[in-house]
Order: sequence, then structure tokens, then C-alpha cells
Amino acid sequence: MTAPATIDQQSLGDVAELPTVTFGHRTLMWWGTAGFMAIEGWTLAILLAGYFYVRQNFVGLPPKPLDHPSLGVPTINLLVLLLSMVPAFMAARAARRLDVPGVRIWLLITSLVSVPIPVLRWYELWALNVRWDTNAYGSAAWLLVGTHATLLLLDVFDTFGLTLFYWFKRMPVKAMSDVADNSFYWYFMVLSWIPLYLIVYLGPQFL
Amino acid sequence: MNDGVRAGRARSSVDQEDAVLPPPQLIDRERLEADARQLDVTWRDPGGLWGWLTTVDHKSIAKRYIITAFLMFIAGGIQAAMIRMQLALPENNLLGPDRYNQIFTTHGTTMMFLFAVPIMNAMGLYFVPLMVGARTIAFPRLNAFGYYAYLVGVVFLYVSLFLNTGPDAGWTAYVPLAGPQFSPGHRVDVWAQVVTFTEIAALAAAVNIIVTALKMRAPGMSLNRIPLFVWAQLVVSFMIVFAMPAVATASTLMLAADRAVSTHWFNPAEGGDSLLWQHVFWFFGHPEVYIIFLPGLGMVTPIVETFCRRRVFGYDALVLANITTGFFSFGLWVHHMFATPIPELGQSLFTAASMLIAIPTGIQIFCWIATMWSGRPRLTTPMLFVLGFLFTFVIGGLTGVMLASVTFDKQAHDTFFVVSHLHYVLLGGAVMPLFGAFYFWFPKVTGRLLSETLGKWNVWLFVIGVNVAFFPMHILGLNGMPRRIYTYLAETGWGPLNLLATAGAVVIVVSVVIFIVNVAVSWRGGALAGPNPWASSGLEWATTSPAPSYNFVHTPVVLGRHPLWDSVGPFPVITGLRTDRREVLVTTVFDARPDHRHKEPDASIWPFVLSLAMGVTWIGSIFTPWAVPTGFAMTLLVMLGWGWQSSRVTDVERVETEDRLVEAE
Repeated sequence: MTAPATIDQQSLGDVAELPTVTFGHRTLMWWGTAGFMAIEGWTLAILLAGYFYVRQNFVGLPPKPLDHPSLGVPTINLLVLLLSMVPAFMAARAARRLDVPGVRIWLLITSLVSVPIPVLRWYELWALNVRWDTNAYGSAAWLLVGTHATLLLLDVFDTFGLTLFYWFKRMPVKAMSDVADNSFYWYFMVLSWIPLYLIVYLGPQFL
Repeated sequence: MNDGVRAGRARSSVDQEDAVLPPPQLIDRERLEADARQLDVTWRDPGGLWGWLTTVDHKSIAKRYIITAFLMFIAGGIQAAMIRMQLALPENNLLGPDRYNQIFTTHGTTMMFLFAVPIMNAMGLYFVPLMVGARTIAFPRLNAFGYYAYLVGVVFLYVSLFLNTGPDAGWTAYVPLAGPQFSPGHRVDVWAQVVTFTEIAALAAAVNIIVTALKMRAPGMSLNRIPLFVWAQLVVSFMIVFAMPAVATASTLMLAADRAVSTHWFNPAEGGDSLLWQHVFWFFGHPEVYIIFLPGLGMVTPIVETFCRRRVFGYDALVLANITTGFFSFGLWVHHMFATPIPELGQSLFTAASMLIAIPTGIQIFCWIATMWSGRPRLTTPMLFVLGFLFTFVIGGLTGVMLASVTFDKQAHDTFFVVSHLHYVLLGGAVMPLFGAFYFWFPKVTGRLLSETLGKWNVWLFVIGVNVAFFPMHILGLNGMPRRIYTYLAETGWGPLNLLATAGAVVIVVSVVIFIVNVAVSWRGGALAGPNPWASSGLEWATTSPAPSYNFVHTPVVLGRHPLWDSVGPFPVITGLRTDRREVLVTTVFDARPDHRHKEPDASIWPFVLSLAMGVTWIGSIFTPWAVPTGFAMTLLVMLGWGWQSSRVTDVERVETEDRLVEAE
């Protein structure tokens, strides 16, 4: 390959002194993560629209003779999810400080707090008190909770993976930025659950 | 025109905060060539089969993407030809009704999902990094993954078709026809999963293009200097982010679930609703049309500028028209549903919105006409394709305005009038600019020019063929010929016009064959192009043809909207990116000021493996729902491998965190 030095070039500056690892919205990965949040958030929004659309075909929600969704497990899981944001935040903060021991500890705590979340989510599906194949209301509720659960499981696994790497492997400093982005995505998973919880579990109590 | 920016002013926007800028320094040739050699070692991916499967070069991937999508154009074209042969005569039985259903469904599915969207994405994946002066795309491995996911979809659809399991419920897969009751077997399942693969691919491409266009532009390329092709790609990528989830939801989370695990989204007996399908599908389906032709409009501008020898008239208007079209396109979907019980207020709103979108499109047309009017047009093949586009697309746009009227739409709904309209819009608005773009950018991809003589035959036959094939369909539709029928009686009187349409289709086939011959002959034997054969203005022409693996030896600095026309004297660049590892320059979103350097990944097999894991998951899900959890577990394992590879300690980094700069490994 010949050099593409087909034209004379003059240098107007030099970027050698610029940093190579940064955090937050300066990085490409943050923007990529934000893009996928938009995609996934929008998918949930469309499912929610579907939920309200089929609701028109029922008198009352849930349609008789179905029971209301149980609130016990979903409420506990909501609290666990909210709680898990604390160690996730601390892990991100430690990452920004390049504090390797801090990142290890807080990732481990985030992982431990996250363990019950998928398990609770399984019981949460049954707490809907309807099966996906009972009627369209059941389908909509299951798919909504199930889709969020799938994304949640992916991110829990991502956190486990990072924790594993940080405990058993020498990690490059640029992975610190990934730790911060992992927390950033986790906030999205937790916060996007709040409206879903309110609508799917709490909503039928009042509708 | 205010874009003839002086070098002095532009310099200050490169580095506004640096009061003292070193004087420009001419880089001597020896150093340029030494840097180029080193960069080639760093950026070139390995050869051989392994290299082919692991490459993350955005140009290699995009080239494959373009070729695969073009093969899909040929496949979809062959099906179109079969449809036209069948309909050429009344009571023809070349294809029976069952085969006909599979053929026209596969034709639509191929053209929309496997040709049009992917090829437009692929053009962006190839050219956006070059046009913004970046060494590569933001996420090269995601890019490779997207291509392989798409390829899985392509192979899956065509293997299914040859096994007599081709989808047969139309490319729109309306329920209840596509539901479990009326479409038993796996044909519709194939459709639903092919759509899933292409959605994943389109979303991967969209995120990649957005981040590349927003964060990796050459210093000085502020938002108001982004080339219009890149603007179009950026707007379309945002549209993909908000449109594709709708069809993914409709096909995978609703239709496939109804068919595989007995959910009741569309089952009226259990509170489901078949109109829900139409809403969710068209919430994607309408923006889809704009996703397909906005990139086409983006290709028109550089062609018009280059061959009229002037800067485009109304850059700001064109950018705003692009953005407003993107917004409006999400407010039109109900005009596909005028024949369903939609409230009257809704009908009025969507009629108004459908007419409204003609305004930004019209603005763009007038801007190009003004550019041509006041320039000195040279009628090369790309330019002729643009003229063909203007003529054909305007007709398609006007029938669109007609269809926006509810009373007219109810007459023309599901007739050949609609078939004619959509082919005018898509062949005129997307395929003609695309062919123009092939002629325009072929030299950048291969280093050689396509033959102009064959090109002229190509363009004339194509424009004539399209109009002969599709104009009669307007009349057929008004005479009441419904779409998606496999034959008709001679007494209907539709025979002669159908025969004429088929004759037009033959002309299109000849034209496309000429194009293929042109490519085959010119790929190795065409005239050598040199870096900038058309004396064009964009950054992609500032490097060799074809561009090397690292795109540019040094990152260009942009002094105006037309970098190669604006800079006189030596080409302005910025130095300091490392040549011994894959570094790119990340800049700020609005002003494109240098922010930091970023290490891009080396070649990797994981994108290929991940797409295979996902392929097994989704294809398996047709046969058993247990494929989903199994595939999910497999996907997680692959992600672990991917993550392991990404987290190797390789270099000392300069880390900027919480207002301090430290060096660490």
C-alpha cells in the first residue's frame, strides 16, 4: 500500500498530550450505552402502549374473575432494585477515582445485592396472578415484565462478569470507564422499572 | 452562502481555548510515508479465512454488506420478474397461487428488510467515517456483529424459501392471516425471525453511525459543517432507533409469541386485537419508507454539488428539511389504516400530517433545482441518475399526497395504485440515487471508474423501464385491480396494461444486467481514478482510492463545509495520534474540538460467534420455546469471552479523571 501522501499536508496542531481514557459523556461507550437505553426504553414504551391498547377490550383491569396482581414480591424486589443503586453508584465513584480495591469491593457488593433480583423477578411474574396464555391482558403483562427481566438479567450478568474479572484478573485502567458505564446502565434498568411497577402491579388496584 | 470560511476564523474554532497556536508546519514527505507504513502495520487486519472472519475494518465489513444487499436486490428482482411474468397475461398459470404468495411475500421482505435498509446503512458504514475524517467507525466489533446477524437472516430466508417454507402472508404479515389459526406451519415464523435479525443489524448500524457522526468528526467540523450525506445518515439512524423497536416488538414479542407460546395479543376471543398489529407494524413501517429514501436524498447533494460545480443552495434549509421529515414520518402511520375504523378526528389529523410532509421534501427538491439552475451541470451518469430521481420521485410523491386523502385512499386501498405509488417512491427516491452513488463512489471503493458508456445505457434504460413498468399500474389500480392476486380474468380488461408493465420490467432487468457487467469489467479493468476523480469537495476524497485501512495518515482539520474546496495550499491536518496502536480522535459533539484519544479494538472472532449464537437462538425458537433460554445462556458465555478479550492490559494510558491527569496501565 502506498502512502496516501498524495497531497502536501500541514499540521495545525498536535493531540499527543490529550488523555486516552476519560469518563461519562465524553466517551464513545457512554454514547453507545445511551443509544441502547433509548432503544430498550422505547421497546418497553411500545409494549406499554400495547398493554393499554388491549385494555380497551376488557371491562376493568384485571378482567374478572382474575385476581389483582399480588404486591408482596414485586414491592420487595422494587426495594432491592432501588437499594442496588447505592453500591452501583459507589462502584462508579471508585472507578472514577481509579481506586482498584474500592471497585472490587463495591462491584462485589453490587453483585451480591443483585443475586436475589432475577429470583424475585421469577416469582414476580407469577405474582401477576394470570398466565401469559390466559388472555390478552395476561400476554401484555407477561411480555412487559418478561422483556424488562431479560434486559435486567443481561446487565446482572454483565456486573457478575466485571466482578469476576476484577477479582481474578489484572484489569487495564480503561476498564474503569466500563465500570462507570455499567452503573450508568444499571440506573436505567432500575429507574425504567418504576413506571412499569406502578402501572402493571399497582395500577389494577385503582383501575 | 456563508460557508466560504476563511482559514483564520476556522482555525480559531479548532482550538478556541488555546490562545497560542503553533504556526502551521509543513509535514515532510518522508515522515508522512514512514507514518503511513507504521499505520498500515497497525491497522491492517490479518488475511486468509481467519482474517476474513475476524476483520473489524469498517470498509471491509461495509463492502460485504453492500455486496450482500445488492445480491438481495438481484434476488428480489428475480422474484419481481417472476411476478410480472405471471401477471403478464390473464389466467396465466406459470406460478400457482401458493407459490405466488411465497414469491411476492419474499420479494417484499427481501427488498424492504434485506436490501433497502441494509444497503443504505452499509453506505453509511462505509462513508460516514471517511466523510467525517475518522480512522474507523465508533464500534468496529458491533459493526461486524451487525453484518453477521444480517447475513444469518439472509441465509435463513432463502434456505426456507427453497424448502417451500417461504413466508406467504405478505411483507406486512397482517393478522389474523399471519396468526396461528390461519397460517399454521413455519412460514410466518420464518418471516418473524428474519425481521428480528435485520432489526438487530439495523440498530447496531444506527448506534454506530450516530456515535461516529456525533463524536468522531474531524476538528473544525462543527454541526453546521457536517456534509449532507452524513446529516441524512444521522437523522435516519435516530429514526431507526425509534422505529425498529416497534417492528421488533410486533414480530418477536407479539406475533412470534402468539404463534409459539399461545399469547393472545391478536386473538379477539381473548381480548386481543388485530388492529394492534397494524398500529405497531406501521409505526415502524411508515418511518421505514423515509429510512430508506432519506439516505438517497443525502446522496443527491454531493452528486449535484460536484457535477454542477457549485456549493449546494440552501444548506440550512436542507438540514432542517431532513430533520423535520424525520420527525413528521412518525406521525403518519395511520394513513395506512384509513380502511379500518379510525375515528374521524384521527383521519383528519393523519391526512393533514401526510400532506404536511410533502413540504420539507419539496423544499429539498427546490434546493437541488436551484443548485442546478445556477450551476454548470455536467450530465455524467451519477447526475443523470439524479435527474431520473427528480422526475420519478416527484411523481411518486404526488400520488402520495393523493393517497393522503381519506376518500381517495378508500378507493385506491389495496389496489395496484398503491403498488405503483410505493415503487415510484422507493425506486425513484432510493434506488436511483443509490445507482448514482454507486457510479460516484465506486472509484473510492475500488480505485477505478465505472464505464460512462455502459453507465448511460444503464441510467436511460432504468429510468424508462421504471416508468413503463409502474406507470400503467396507476391506471390498473384506478380500474380496480387489487394487489396480491395471482391472476385475473380476461374480461376485466387488465391484460394489455399488465403486459406493458411486464415489458417495462424486462427493460429494468436489461438495465441492471448492464450495471452488473459494468461493475464486473471495471472492478479490475476500469480507468484508474486517483484520489479525487471528480474534483469533489468531501473529506472522503482527501485520501487514496481505495482508502487505506487507517483511512487518513493524519486527522484532517476542516475549515469549512467543503473541505477540499475551502483549503488552499497544503492540506490542513492535526498530528499526534499514535501510529503503533489503533487510536482515533474523539471530539466534542457541537464544535468538534479535540477531546481525547481513544483506542479502538483489534480484529476479533467474537462478533461472528455472537451472531451465530443469536442465530441458533432465534431460529431454534421457531421449533421450541426452550431454544430461547438455552440460546440466552450461550449468548452470555460468548459475552464473557468477548469481555475477556477486551480487558487485556496492553498499554500505559493517560487517564483524565476528576480534574487530574494520571498515567496508569
